[in-house]
Amino acid sequence: MKDQELQNQIDCFLNETISDTGAKALEERLIDDVEARTHYLNEVGLHASLNRTFSVQKGTVVLPFERSFDPKVIYSLAACLVLFLGFCTYWFFSPPVARITHVVGAYNGNGIAYEEGESINQGGISLSRGLLRLDFSNGARVTLEGPADLEIHDVSRIMLNAGILTANIPESAIGFTVDTEAAHVVDLGTSFGVSVGFEGLTEVCVFDGEVEVSPVGEYGSGNLTQLVREGEAISATINSSIIDSVSFETSQFENAWPVNYGVLQTTGSMRFVSPGPDFHPGNYKDNDHIVVFPEKRGFIAEESIRVDMIDPGEYQKSHYDEKPTLVPRRAMTSYLLQMDAYPEGKNPNRRRGAVGQITFARPIVGVVTEDRLLKESEIVFGIPGVEYPSARTIEPRPEGDKREGFDKLILTADRHSLILELRENPGHLDQVRVLVEAQ
Amino acid sequence: MHKEKIDSSKHEDFVSLYIRHEPAVFSFVMSMVGRSADAEDVVQRASMTMWRCFDRYKPGTNFRNWAFQVAKNEALNFLTRAKRDRHVFSEKLIELLAQDTFENSDKLEARRRALDLCVKKLPPEDNDIVSGCYAEGATVRSYAKIKGGSANKFYKKLNRIRGKLQQCIERQLGLEDFAA
Repeated sequence: MKDQELQNQIDCFLNETISDTGAKALEERLIDDVEARTHYLNEVGLHASLNRTFSVQKGTVVLPFERSFDPKVIYSLAACLVLFLGFCTYWFFSPPVARITHVVGAYNGNGIAYEEGESINQGGISLSRGLLRLDFSNGARVTLEGPADLEIHDVSRIMLNAGILTANIPESAIGFTVDTEAAHVVDLGTSFGVSVGFEGLTEVCVFDGEVEVSPVGEYGSGNLTQLVREGEAISATINSSIIDSVSFETSQFENAWPVNYGVLQTTGSMRFVSPGPDFHPGNYKDNDHIVVFPEKRGFIAEESIRVDMIDPGEYQKSHYDEKPTLVPRRAMTSYLLQMDAYPEGKNPNRRRGAVGQITFARPIVGVVTEDRLLKESEIVFGIPGVEYPSARTIEPRPEGDKREGFDKLILTADRHSLILELRENPGHLDQVRVLVEAQ
Repeated sequence: MHKEKIDSSKHEDFVSLYIRHEPAVFSFVMSMVGRSADAEDVVQRASMTMWRCFDRYKPGTNFRNWAFQVAKNEALNFLTRAKRDRHVFSEKLIELLAQDTFENSDKLEARRRALDLCVKKLPPEDNDIVSGCYAEGATVRSYAKIKGGSANKFYKKLNRIRGKLQQCIERQLGLEDFAA
């Protein structure tokens, strides 16, 4: 018989009540003592065999593996295993339908966290809370906001039973279809949001491009198909052939939408607005928010880009010649953060302020704030055809100055977040371009 | 048609080998990862890898050792993730456990066979406790709650029953002297 201390440690290990300290002590003993290891393996062997002998769940076919020495059981399980392996063959040799690329506090119905990089094939996704971005193998990007229930039928067809999703569909995935109990939504190369609420009430909001929406079931004839264009929204109910036009209201998609663009979270007054028609920095004024505009995505610049800031910390002004430079041929995604205050209310010239934080899925590689560099980088990363407003200034507090009213910009140590505190006189404009490592 | 025949025969070969050696693989994985739910998960992943790479297995060679190797790699992957939350065994110990399991797998196999007989000889009360605590989805805590008693009491009973079963195995195998 082995000594009592070892036996106690092994018993606790098998009963799954062992502490970290106990596990470390057992580990040290097992490394040093070959006899202790033999005894340990015998004990684990017994425990594992008991587990296999008594944990057969009757009537299930999910077990691909043997749990008994009864030949009849082995035979039936073997038959199940053959079926299971047939499935595996298909599963292993087919590329995954989609992959989870971003996770923001996302848990399934059993309280288990989703992980980035997980492959997703046909089947259901139950999201009790949080946000989950799925990148499909055909290029479609779908962000799901919990609580939600989604079924993936194949690479170009999903069914939203409940919850909210936003989708970006590139040309390679045109025809991507989102079904709900009330509507078929067929993409025609676009970005849109779908929500399914109480009793299957479906709302579709088109941010860009156009989609076809038709009612389901007996009402689903081609005649009732509606084309919904950028800046339009519809609602549909179960057992009704009527698709109502409703006002273009994007607020319900404002959590999921940024994730489609690699922005995991915005807090405070930072706002990633779901775009509508002609949404660009030149025509969007807001006294209360720092608004985020996505620009070029995964773009590889041929020239080096001069920026104001690359290292974590607080932004301080510097001379042009001292500005750091990002090397060319590096894939980056660009975002423009803007506060454009305008005179309004009883005290129109009152100075406006906004504080907020934005967190990206990928690390920030450069931040541009000064007008000259904003113009230079705009040529490379700006949205073609958009007229960018100018005269943009971020005024950080000079060293030693104790006065109020300066702007603050901090790049966090993990390089994923930017904290902004802006003060703005109406009629003036603050802008920051953030360059993020592309996926 | 010909390909289907080959695939079907490949399935049968794999099923036959896997079923024979799965208990040994499960036991080996359990010795590395500790918790039965984690061990199930690792074995499941390992079995899929084995099937995916079955073409690389050379018929006639030792399937059990090949399966152990695949299982060890899966366990190491799992432990790398799990060590963020709790203390897990180091790679050094995993290597030692793997070496011992490889070398002693016949003896461990004999112990498993002997255990079958010993379980049949368990007194009804002990059999109830073992089957209750090891049932699918059950824990000692959940069993203690049903039976009305502290979990600690049932942990002790279970430890004692496992001790008795070890002694029975030793007797079956004529190894009593070594156990003394």
